[in-house]
Amino acid sequence: MKRLLGVALGILTAIGGFLDIGDLVTNAVVGSRFGLSLAWVVAVGVVGICLFAQMSGRVAAVSGRATFEIIRERLGPRAAGANLTASFLINLLTLTAEIGGIALALQLASSVEPRLWIPVAALAVWLVVWRAKFSIMENVTGLLGLTLVVFAVALFLLHPPWGELATQALQPTVPSQEGHASYWYYAIALFGAAMTPYEVFFFSSGAIEERWTVKDIGQSRLNVLVGFPFGGVLSVAIAACAAVVLLPRHVEVSSLSQIVLPVALAGGKLALAVVIVGIVAATMGAALETSLSSGYTLAQFFGWSWGKFRRPAQAARFHLTMIVGIVVATGVLMTSVDPIKVTEFSVVFSAVALPLTYLPILLVANDPEYMGEHVNGRATNAVALVYLVVILAASLAAIPLMIVTGAGS
Amino acid sequence: MSPRLRRSARPFPDDEALPEAPRPAGLVLDARLHLLDRQTLDVDGRPVATVDDLELGAPGSTSLSGDDTVLVAALLSGPVLATRVFGGRPPSSRLHRIDWRHVTDVGTTVRLGVHGEELDVLWVERWVRDHVIGRIPGGRHDPG
Repeated sequence: MKRLLGVALGILTAIGGFLDIGDLVTNAVVGSRFGLSLAWVVAVGVVGICLFAQMSGRVAAVSGRATFEIIRERLGPRAAGANLTASFLINLLTLTAEIGGIALALQLASSVEPRLWIPVAALAVWLVVWRAKFSIMENVTGLLGLTLVVFAVALFLLHPPWGELATQALQPTVPSQEGHASYWYYAIALFGAAMTPYEVFFFSSGAIEERWTVKDIGQSRLNVLVGFPFGGVLSVAIAACAAVVLLPRHVEVSSLSQIVLPVALAGGKLALAVVIVGIVAATMGAALETSLSSGYTLAQFFGWSWGKFRRPAQAARFHLTMIVGIVVATGVLMTSVDPIKVTEFSVVFSAVALPLTYLPILLVANDPEYMGEHVNGRATNAVALVYLVVILAASLAAIPLMIVTGAGS
Repeated sequence: MSPRLRRSARPFPDDEALPEAPRPAGLVLDARLHLLDRQTLDVDGRPVATVDDLELGAPGSTSLSGDDTVLVAALLSGPVLATRVFGGRPPSSRLHRIDWRHVTDVGTTVRLGVHGEELDVLWVERWVRDHVIGRIPGGRHDPG
């Protein structure tokens, strides 16, 4: 019974933890401009993140070594240093977007200026990182994040033209008012939002925080393979809500209030309250994961002592890194930069950086010195190679498309 | 690393017969593959540092002639990483060493037989702990 509860809890937190500000914003923007014609990208992204998270979790569980230790060891200090710089900066960008997301959600609930909420949100993130237990942090934000199911409920309440939505999703065409370049630019953004690299740093380091062993591989695989696809369904529900409500009215999404508008229309005040709780939980969870990831990547590259299972004093430089990261993110937000814009950039740069983490993990998952008998099977490797091509293509095309489309505008 | 040479420009004849590689008994370690960039753990399993470079030769002596037997004297960590990435060589007095005699096992990590507290390489960690992190309330308590 206890084991069953553990499995259920793992799957539920994986669903709730899948969505972050990147998924919320990108799906709503895409839904309001392209309908469901990019839903296939979410499917591609979900399969990719399942594969990737499952591999890095297995590497961490079997070898006891986290992602960035391995990247350093495989690529040497020069290439790994360049990789660290890119990953760390993009992670910081994502952290900025997430803290901004918390502030925007709190603004929706209270009508208080986001710049008053930003320091409060940042302090809350730091306090949890500083004091809370890893498992409690994961479970609370994951379970509360599940309230984003309200997007799926709202979709039903809106009585959408199901046939039309299905046609858009299954026979994707570029809408007449949009260019092909914008279509592919948003395809890459959506892919980057689903497969954000920080999830991998976090997943592999989290496996070590929770002291996974070979015995836990099955459970982690189940969490990922069941939880993430449901998270993907929620992503599509967000896009569908935007497609039903915002697309016909030619509303271009540029604020959080527009993202939640379909939910408020369908379910009224109660649904709005629920969705705000969900967004606060999802962005809070992701802010915690990204601030921890900033500490994980740096500490693992330099070989410092790290981990939330240790007292802060026993992982001093790890905690100092996170404090500096949170302070920098807060500073950037206090310049009144628009968090929604930051989010849009962060998902695209995530797509650019994906090969940097994906390739070393793939190599080590095939290395018997680390993995013994748990190296990748043939089927996994076949899919992994296909994804290597997809990830490389997305990474190379992202910046040129960003320039051509003027970042999608 | 080394520039590629054209076949005709190689400094040895094309058909030169190479001697058999020696096959010593026991465990063979490749310094690049098994030591450099590996995580070191102290006797309690706590991370100490990543091996950023190696000091070769007898400890203290800086000059090596061509036919000396080269020994790994110490694992190096800290600022020496910068010289490994950008080139150059820090003065010997600036190196933070972990003596090779403290190494007990080399696997996917390098294990040491001493406590990290006793090692010079951890001075930054101790400084940050004593002056910053340890002074913030709750910094010395278990999480949760």
